Amino acid sequence: MIVSHFNPDLAGSTVTQTTTVRDVAELARLTIADSDIDKVTKEFNQTLALFEALTMVDTNGVNPMVNPCTESQPLRTDRVETLVDRAGLMQNAPASEQNYFLVPRVID
Amino acid sequence: MTSSFQTVASLRSKLANRDVSSVELTRDALARISDLNPELNAVISSSEENAMKAATQADEAREKGNDSPLLGIPMLHKDIFCTQGLPTTCASKMLANFVAPYDATVVRRLDDAGMITLGKSNMDEFAMGSSNETSYFGACKNPWDTSRVPGGSSGGSASAVAAGLAPLATGTDTGGSIRQPAALCGITGLKPTYGRVSRYGMIAFASSMDQAGPMARTAEDCALVLEAMAGADPLDSTCADQSVPRYSSHLTDTIEGMRVGVPKEFFSSDLNSDVAAAIEASLAELEGMGAKLVDVSLPSTSLGVSTYYIIAPAEASANLSRYDGVRYGYRCENPVDLQDLYLRSRSEGFGDEVKRRILVGAFTLSAASYDEYFMKAQQVRRLIAQEYDDVLSQVDVIAGPSAPNTAFALNDSSKSITDMYMEDVFTIGANLAGLPAMSIPAGLVGGLPVGMQLIGRRFGEVDILKLAHQFQQRTTWHNLTPTLEERH
Repeated sequence: MIVSHFNPDLAGSTVTQTTTVRDVAELARLTIADSDIDKVTKEFNQTLALFEALTMVDTNGVNPMVNPCTESQPLRTDRVETLVDRAGLMQNAPASEQNYFLVPRVID
Repeated sequence: MTSSFQTVASLRSKLANRDVSSVELTRDALARISDLNPELNAVISSSEENAMKAATQADEAREKGNDSPLLGIPMLHKDIFCTQGLPTTCASKMLANFVAPYDATVVRRLDDAGMITLGKSNMDEFAMGSSNETSYFGACKNPWDTSRVPGGSSGGSASAVAAGLAPLATGTDTGGSIRQPAALCGITGLKPTYGRVSRYGMIAFASSMDQAGPMARTAEDCALVLEAMAGADPLDSTCADQSVPRYSSHLTDTIEGMRVGVPKEFFSSDLNSDVAAAIEASLAELEGMGAKLVDVSLPSTSLGVSTYYIIAPAEASANLSRYDGVRYGYRCENPVDLQDLYLRSRSEGFGDEVKRRILVGAFTLSAASYDEYFMKAQQVRRLIAQEYDDVLSQVDVIAGPSAPNTAFALNDSSKSITDMYMEDVFTIGANLAGLPAMSIPAGLVGGLPVGMQLIGRRFGEVDILKLAHQFQQRTTWHNLTPTLEERH
């Protein structure tokens, strides 16, 4: 679960503010251009309005359905296997050096 | 040149009788892709050298006595399946240059069965869409009318099969992504029971609903291919450890007295009246075949869209968090720091619909909204699944329309985001409940195909396949083909 830091009073409202949408975007590591924020907020609210129908449903005592699997999921032996080798994994790296993924410096 | 609109079953006979070789079939299919794809945009990439090499090997294997039923038959994979050594883009800028280092289990199994991969078919970006218009590589066109959408997300697969580019294509279905494009393009598409086919190597959208299946001209072809695709996989713990029936051996089992439930909610105001008339005529055909039609009710049908569009984006926001510009996928130019790398790689790499769903998913999973939205949707999902189970304890199969309309125009600006989501209103239930469902051609309205949906009990693919097959023995809708101008 993502831990929220935006105003909980606004959550659940179908009139979500642009500031809230920006906060959610930050949580999702997405940026929204100033020129797009009104459109994105409008579409966000349209989608939330679609969810209003669920508030009328009595779900007291209903066990949430996480997935449709009816049987317990099997476990397999914890054994080291090589499904994809290092070269295969590294071939798509945007930047790498000596078999490590390169990212911008995080510690000065 | 062989006919472009043959079935897997007929090609199997021709190959077995040496009437045609795999090399000939593959060469013809590649030529037709080259010819028609500029107009249809159904195929993102083709692998001519690999395909011809595999076809040569298939012909050699046949000469050595290999009589595998799918040996040497060409096909396309939706570009959501990882294919070792070939691009796997998921129709996204994010993965535009991604070459998978391994095969999806579905790909491996069909390769092992001797099928020839021609290339990868177009789709909505990360399977998010019902029109194939969200593809980074441009919209795919419906061969029945190229000013219209083929449906989505498996629009490229549906368009390709309908246009005779391949007799078979794989698809995936999270909320209707096999059935709706199959309906709009006039082909047969099967979404198996959740857990029937391995999801390993199938790029994840909403993991509790994603399921792979065949898209072909007939139910018989779907049966033949599902036999090769299905079955337990140690690499996917949600893939059921249940034996795989020989579906093609049950196609002629009697359907006399089979109870077919017709939910009144599937014939609501959401359904186009001409489409409704076509479906009613097809239901009468089922009755004429010996099935017994039973009025049933699925009162929560309209809640399915709301439920799905909470759960699917929530799961997508979690699944797509892996695209961070570090290990694979798109990376922005000159990031100033790690946060900048994450933010710009994701914002530049994902298209609008994907970002829209990630935002909604991040919101409904946030601490302040979790109970109100995500938990609530999971509870309603349980109620919807129970409704289906209750109805399917009274009937063998549920039948109705696959989609509320025929194919709509490309770039239809009158359609809002939520209008587009309503395209899935009749298909979503089977995904929420994890049930097998298929779409079969059931008529034309204004020259455009209509699909009838058949939904079965969990792991009840035999029931829907035999009903579909016998319907196709009495009707000719599945034999209709669009008129396309070949360039040469």
